[in-house]
Amino acid sequence: MKKSFVFSGSGGQGIMSAGIMLAHTAIDMNKHSTYLPEYGPEQRGGSAKCTVIISDGEIISPLTKKCDNLIVMNEQAYAKFGDSVKEGGLLVLNSSRIKEEITREDVKVLAVPVDDIALELGNVKAANIVLIGALIGATDVVSKDAFVASLEEKFKTKKPEILELNLKALEKGIEFGKAAK
Amino acid sequence: MEKRFMKGCEAIAEAAVRGGCRFFAGYPITPQNEIPEYLSWRLPEVGGAFVQGESEVASINMVYGAAATGKRALTSSSGPGISLKAEGISYLASAQLPAVIVNISRGGPGLGSIQPAQSDYLQATKALGHGGFRAMVFAPATLQEAVDLTYNAWEYAERDRGPVLILMDGCLGAIMEEVELPPMKELKIENTEDWDLSRANGRTDAHMITPILPEPALEMLNRAKGMVYNMMWPMDAKAEEYMLDDAEYVVVAYGIAARVAKEAINELRAKGVKIGMIRPITLYPFPKSIENLDYSKVKGIIDIEMTIPAQMRDDIELQVKGRCPVHEYGRSGGMLLDDEGVYNAIAEITGGGN
Repeated sequence: MKKSFVFSGSGGQGIMSAGIMLAHTAIDMNKHSTYLPEYGPEQRGGSAKCTVIISDGEIISPLTKKCDNLIVMNEQAYAKFGDSVKEGGLLVLNSSRIKEEITREDVKVLAVPVDDIALELGNVKAANIVLIGALIGATDVVSKDAFVASLEEKFKTKKPEILELNLKALEKGIEFGKAAK
Repeated sequence: MEKRFMKGCEAIAEAAVRGGCRFFAGYPITPQNEIPEYLSWRLPEVGGAFVQGESEVASINMVYGAAATGKRALTSSSGPGISLKAEGISYLASAQLPAVIVNISRGGPGLGSIQPAQSDYLQATKALGHGGFRAMVFAPATLQEAVDLTYNAWEYAERDRGPVLILMDGCLGAIMEEVELPPMKELKIENTEDWDLSRANGRTDAHMITPILPEPALEMLNRAKGMVYNMMWPMDAKAEEYMLDDAEYVVVAYGIAARVAKEAINELRAKGVKIGMIRPITLYPFPKSIENLDYSKVKGIIDIEMTIPAQMRDDIELQVKGRCPVHEYGRSGGMLLDDEGVYNAIAEITGGGN
């Protein structure tokens, strides 16, 4: 099985680190994975996109035009990449920022107010983890335990509150994802 | 072997260190900045030296200096920066000093685009600098291959006494995938005696700056180099040959383009299209695989590159010799190849798979 994920938004929304963490977790689970970032010359605020491919077998081409799962963090990203999710695929969107009506009827739509949830938990920076939670809840792409282990590894040098916040964010996201399954 | 999930540029940098590189000088340019960034902390860990030069010209000349002291030296850049280094690379060739140069290529010409492209094939294989020297050019398609080729690049540079180029596009520079890292090399110092100035021991044939040679001596040097390029290097040519046995169509592609094409080939094979691929791993010496195809079966060659117009085509045509049509498909300017575009292009040319 081979699945592609495109994360898109703007610089600072945690798009790239969400992609890397997902790919890393897949590797930890003995799957194959590639992560490809794409960004413009801006240091901050420009458009950010990354493609993660997770597969049980060797990944030949890391470049794909259409993806199985599209994750969009803002309206600009939706306008730019909304068409790139395959028919029957999954569209996960940040409904805290994307207010427009989603016109595509051939994909499953999972709207999660990730910014609001993260803010409620105490820090909007955890929005990307809520998003990954939703993805895990809705697709079983990686196991929750494996992702928790990645989070623990990533934040091991930081204050324990940061890990705690991210674990809560993950849990909230998974709830949303499961509800949509 | 040690497995790691690494970014392309960092994998090359680590492989260089493990392959014995102890000096780096370079000047920043996207999309290769992760190479100097990584080496800035990694080289001091192993007793090496890292310099961010004030320019590309200064950096390539520092590499010249380091190479002249017997150290394994590296520089990296992207298209526009490689153009600036061209003079120094030619001087390295003239002084017969071993060094490795990495080009993580982007859209061109000119300042071009910071996004990935395979737009430096001609520069890499035909004229990396003035004066008619040649450099071996390695073109990895996966990060594992990038690690393996970089790790062994200095062996070629030292054997043939000249610059070696590793050419990889910005996609492979930025992508992360799993690699197995080889162990740290133990270097034998006695190998360097011929060119290491610090070990010249009173010999007068060792120079830091190559003088203007008397014409007959320069001709003799060029003759000797010509023998190396024409007689020895063909044996070092490498290519991956994929599903050629019954192939009616053969894709020729290198690096990232070959990976996208291979996926399309697998899909087309599943639909009964007799198609295979030749993937040059050394772009110079250019492998002879195309010349030796069975043209009673092959109906067409398809050159796929992430650049427009295709640059490898001349080398392909020299081997096809008019025995079948040569087609080309590509994207350019920082627009990436993708699975759908490559599949559709091949399907249209072969008339199959629809």
